[in-house]
Amino acid sequence: METNVIKADDLCFCYDQSSEGINDINFAIDKGEIVLLTGNSGSGKSTLLKCLNGLIPSVTEGEIKGMLSIEGEKYSDLKMHQLNQLIGSVFQNPRSQFFTDNTTAELVFPMENYGYTIDEMKKRLESLKRAFGLDGLIDRNIFTLSSGERQLIALASAVTMKQKVLLFDEPSANLDYGNAMKLGRILKRLKENGYTVIVADHRFYYLSNTIDKVLFMENGLLKVCNSEDEFKKGNYNTRSFDIFSIDIPFPINDTSGKNVARIEEVYYKDILKGINLTLRKGEITVLIGNNGAGKTTLAKTLCQSIKPDKGKVDINGLPFFIMQDPDYQLFGTSVQNELELVKNDQGAIDNVLSYLGLSKYRYKHPFDLSGGQKQRLQIAMAMLCDRELIIFDEPTSGLDVYSMLSVSEQVKKLREKAGVLVISHDYEFIRHVANRIIYLNNGVIEKDFILDRTTLSELNNIFIKMQEEE
Amino acid sequence: MKSIKINPIVIILINVIAPTMYIFMSGKYLQIYLFTFAAALFVLMGRFKRLAGYLIVYGVMMGIYYITLNIKGIQFIGLFIIVIIQSVPCIALASILISKYNSAQLLSALETMRVPRVLVVAVTITLKYIPTFRREFSYITESMRLRGIGFTWKKPIKSFQYFIIPQLFRCAALAEEVTAAGLVKGIDAPMRRTSYYEEKATFADVAVFALFLTGLAGGFVWKLM
Repeated sequence: METNVIKADDLCFCYDQSSEGINDINFAIDKGEIVLLTGNSGSGKSTLLKCLNGLIPSVTEGEIKGMLSIEGEKYSDLKMHQLNQLIGSVFQNPRSQFFTDNTTAELVFPMENYGYTIDEMKKRLESLKRAFGLDGLIDRNIFTLSSGERQLIALASAVTMKQKVLLFDEPSANLDYGNAMKLGRILKRLKENGYTVIVADHRFYYLSNTIDKVLFMENGLLKVCNSEDEFKKGNYNTRSFDIFSIDIPFPINDTSGKNVARIEEVYYKDILKGINLTLRKGEITVLIGNNGAGKTTLAKTLCQSIKPDKGKVDINGLPFFIMQDPDYQLFGTSVQNELELVKNDQGAIDNVLSYLGLSKYRYKHPFDLSGGQKQRLQIAMAMLCDRELIIFDEPTSGLDVYSMLSVSEQVKKLREKAGVLVISHDYEFIRHVANRIIYLNNGVIEKDFILDRTTLSELNNIFIKMQEEE
Repeated sequence: MKSIKINPIVIILINVIAPTMYIFMSGKYLQIYLFTFAAALFVLMGRFKRLAGYLIVYGVMMGIYYITLNIKGIQFIGLFIIVIIQSVPCIALASILISKYNSAQLLSALETMRVPRVLVVAVTITLKYIPTFRREFSYITESMRLRGIGFTWKKPIKSFQYFIIPQLFRCAALAEEVTAAGLVKGIDAPMRRTSYYEEKATFADVAVFALFLTGLAGGFVWKLM
């Protein structure tokens, strides 16, 4: 009797239109294991994940060789709809992983497709409600949910067909620290209930002490570690397990820069309640707080997208705002043209292009760039602009360790010419860049301090507190 | 007054029939009839805000039509408007579909009508894309404002290009993601699809549809007389 839930024998996949792919993949996953699938960008991690959820070969075309099986059945013998009764997928992107915009409709959607009767659906919906604590989430608009609630709906809808194997694609990318830790606890509980869970992610602090096996991808090849300890001892350069133990020198603090923005006694609806804040040139201020604390709203008042009900926002011109999703922000016909739209100064453009390693992409269309390159282009735009304040919204969500480190360097470089405000949940990144920490809780600035050796414990305490609040 | 619920199938049928009728019958009668019918439907379904918007759009367009028609030289504007105006009631009827029903409801309504699954999925995704489009559009205009790339009528083509190109690329990306989301949820399952929202035809459904058809029949009679 086969005990492996998933087994790969010499699995290879090669994309149709590029030389990239994965080779000689061999592993076996047992029932009830929590498996971390990790590796840096371009390592083949997503390709392997797509093989597992069946999108390769049903959506993405290419040449597949070797054998992949689930519960003793070969993937090649299974149709997509058969596979999906065995395996549940939770995607990363909240925008498109839902097929409907109503929570109930989303939960019953797979059951409708598989022809359940209304009574069966009602029964299953009840049991999902109990299992995942969805009481307040039934019949709601998905876009009004918080990121944690959305994750819960995505998870529940992935097991409506009683799938016992679950695949997660970068769940931490859209979750704050508190919700990521909560997801870690949920996964532990799923494991206790006999689920097999595979999580593909760059960040895995929330899985500390729960992992049974690590699949580490590097250049299209797989290394299997049979325990969390073995992986830790392997000294792979990845994001940290124990984020609080990282030791990085503190940036030099310089408070002599001129003021670039000032907020006085700002109130906005129920979201901001009496905010006072001064931002200075040469300072990298990181805004932290759980989802819904008012971080984005605060950034929006600085961008003058919303007008506060009370109070004053004093800022010279608009800030340069770097959105999380670069696709909304690129308008040029080429990289060169994109930068000309910011500032038509060829000398300066050449400088930033070579500093960011984008020179060879100069004539490419911005949308032809990879995700990381698009982000570098955004940073190039920020470097060129004459704005006094630069705001980043979650610049490191979904970045591997190398990309995160290079973004940190670039952000530090920006403070030479402007004030920088960063919204982030990423503890490692925060430790690399922050001069100053502002903790926003329920629309009030609870803490505002310069980050150095003496105040580090304060930052750690905030993170621990955010975890408890969720 | 209690607002009534109407089966999406009725609304879909009305949406299909209404515009095609322009081929067969007098435009003027149909226009007035559809205008009244759409307004009445809004009232019955309790969509008063939408009704107000609809009346304003219609009123303004009619106003422009009458004003420009009497001024020599710009009559073409009025003639152009009168063509556009024909579609307003139809768009209003279609807007009910998008705003009132979620995609699962639309999907099952279309399934009951025995439309092929491939078409059903395509239509549902398209309909659902409209609210997404609206959301994405607001992100893009906001981002243009922050970049200092405003929409100017001086360079309409250039400005238009700025917000249409990111949108097109988003479409392509979104299409792939939505397909994946549907596939992993068994949208390709060969069994007959059931519906959580399935509703039997009610008296209101039949009455509304009968009324709609009677009105159309009235148009033919009117033409004969």
